[in-house]
Amino acid sequence: MKHLRNTVAAGLAVALASGAAAQDDELVIYHGWSTPAEVSALQVLRDALAEQGIAWKDMAIPHNSGVNVSLVNMVTGGNPPNAFVESNPGVYRDLAARDLSLDLTDLYESEGIAENLAPIVRELSMVDGKFVKVPVALHIDGMVYWNMDVAEEAGVDPASWTSVDEMFADFDKVEEAGFIPAAVGSQAFQVGYLTHALTAAMAGPDIYNRIYGAEPDITAFETEEFADVVAAVRKMSEYAGPETQNRPWNETTNQVINGDALLHIMGDWMKGEWKAAGKEPGVDFGCIPIPGALAVPVTSDAFGLLGGQDEATTEAELTFAATTLSPEISGAFAANKGATPARTDAPADLLDECNIVVQDLLAVDGGAVQNPFNISDSDWHQAIWAVMFDFWSNPDMTTEDVVADLQDEYDAIFY
Amino acid sequence: MTMNVNAAAAGGQLEDEYLAEVPLRKERRIRGRSIAVIAFLTFCAAFFCLPLYVILVTSFKTLDQIRLGDIFSLPTEWTIEPWITAWNSACSGITCDGLKVGFVNSLAILFPSLVLSIVLSSVTGYALALWNVRWAGPFLFLLFMCAFIPFQIVMIPLIILTGMFGIYGTVWGIAVVHAITSLPLLTLIFRNYYKDIPREIMQAAVMDSGRFWQIFFRIIVPMSGNILIVVLILMITNIWNDFLIGLTFGGLGTQPMTVILANVVITTTGETLYNENMAAALLTAIPPLVIYFLLGRFFVQGITAGAIKG
Repeated sequence: MKHLRNTVAAGLAVALASGAAAQDDELVIYHGWSTPAEVSALQVLRDALAEQGIAWKDMAIPHNSGVNVSLVNMVTGGNPPNAFVESNPGVYRDLAARDLSLDLTDLYESEGIAENLAPIVRELSMVDGKFVKVPVALHIDGMVYWNMDVAEEAGVDPASWTSVDEMFADFDKVEEAGFIPAAVGSQAFQVGYLTHALTAAMAGPDIYNRIYGAEPDITAFETEEFADVVAAVRKMSEYAGPETQNRPWNETTNQVINGDALLHIMGDWMKGEWKAAGKEPGVDFGCIPIPGALAVPVTSDAFGLLGGQDEATTEAELTFAATTLSPEISGAFAANKGATPARTDAPADLLDECNIVVQDLLAVDGGAVQNPFNISDSDWHQAIWAVMFDFWSNPDMTTEDVVADLQDEYDAIFY
Repeated sequence: MTMNVNAAAAGGQLEDEYLAEVPLRKERRIRGRSIAVIAFLTFCAAFFCLPLYVILVTSFKTLDQIRLGDIFSLPTEWTIEPWITAWNSACSGITCDGLKVGFVNSLAILFPSLVLSIVLSSVTGYALALWNVRWAGPFLFLLFMCAFIPFQIVMIPLIILTGMFGIYGTVWGIAVVHAITSLPLLTLIFRNYYKDIPREIMQAAVMDSGRFWQIFFRIIVPMSGNILIVVLILMITNIWNDFLIGLTFGGLGTQPMTVILANVVITTTGETLYNENMAAALLTAIPPLVIYFLLGRFFVQGITAGAIKG
């Protein structure tokens, strides 16, 4: 028995020692990225940090298995990472309440970072008036990527569309030519993203923020603009064709890549699939925002940093932030990941055609809104997904039903 | 999958015993009705094997063929590259060392978890079954109720506890949590098994001035072969296939194979390598399958020897 006890004690001692092994010049980086493109982007960052004597301890957590839940768990267990990919402002507020939030405002000002970010990215990087996030990759939630060969064969030119109506008008032509006009897959999140992208594009930032804001304004549902959005979602479901049932987004993108469908409206991360298939923007495929968009929703993948650490660790964390946000690294990271750089002054040779489209969009004053994950109550935006997915799947559901269902959900969540 | 293998093993076993004890009946000719039944069962089996078929052929296809979207076709060009990549160089985060990292971690988690959970619950089961423990009835009832509490409810308290003991984020943390969460069920299994040990044996042992631990190690453990196999199979499958405990309590470098698998296959914003993912999924599923094939026979013996009855 005594022997056993000693073994257990020794085991515990080893475990403790290894738990406390994180050194000052070593940062634990927590994220949910594993595809080749994502990894090559992370490697850019790791190499840049290694040059400055900061070692990278990687900690990957499966995406959507509750990334922020795991983060909270690790904080609770007393073993939090130094840098973590996180967008939800609520998590930053929780960390601030535990004195574990690192305020980057001084760094942003002194290094001249703030003025080199698009206004919407500045907004996305702040929580309660302080800079706490380090944006690394920007995505527009609703871009239109079309197959140029299909467009040519069907005799349409997506680049010339100036409104959603013009797009729909051309869809019949595409169908006659034997192609699926719009390859949206029937998954709740795809319909959800399509809905908020169309809301921003067709109804504009004001109505978008009234619907997706922290405290939604249900009168926004009674507007004519919202009714138009719902009607557009219905049209998309009709043009998407029956074979899109339950298709993951990347297979849906593959329908466009293979030349079965004309276009896909998705986050512009679908560029990853195009690139993996060896296709070039501007040559094989084109990219535009939703035609006539009044605003585009922006997702910013960003790292947060852990506050309340000793001086050396804090110093290393600040170096991490400054390095990540340097124009060269920002550009290289985004180029590898297939995103748009956070900094507007990233080297031009790292940008492709689609990046330039995105940068031009972000430069428009008031032309961008924040992704719902950043601003909505998560119950609320899940509820919108659920209602819109019902609508998508059930042709008998009307716009009035959607509004009534959303009002019910609102009452259930906010009262 | 688990159930199928089980059922198959159980079927084979019962048949063997049946044949050994009962005189053979005259063989009957196959009639129309049994042909229909066989055809139906074959159809069912084929239906349930379809996903496995798709996984298997996809894992041998090139990405270019997969992109065409015809999931039932055989590979036009067979390749084992996905299997090699999945094992050796698939990326879980920035670490591109493949699933083998997770395999090693899973083994490192498996052994302490098995030892802790089996030692703890066999002793508890033994004490509750063969000694006059005060409050044994209510305690058993409590344990039984605990078996129904979802892990998620006690997750945060467990995190705080393991954090306090300094084992959060280590293999030991995972092992302790596995031992705690499996305690109710395993204790019940052990208790029911030990309950069938004749009172006389215990009385004789006590008369020979055997004490609690002596009796346990000298008499009870040597008699526990069958039930240990049952519990081993249960726990190996359980621990190997576990995702949530490994994810929650696995810290840096101790993530089990399932978590690495999820890292590899769950696409966020990039391309999906289906062939590699399928190979990775199959690789992760192989170890418990092997255990079943090797020990399935003993599993049935253990169960019929009194584990689950009573």
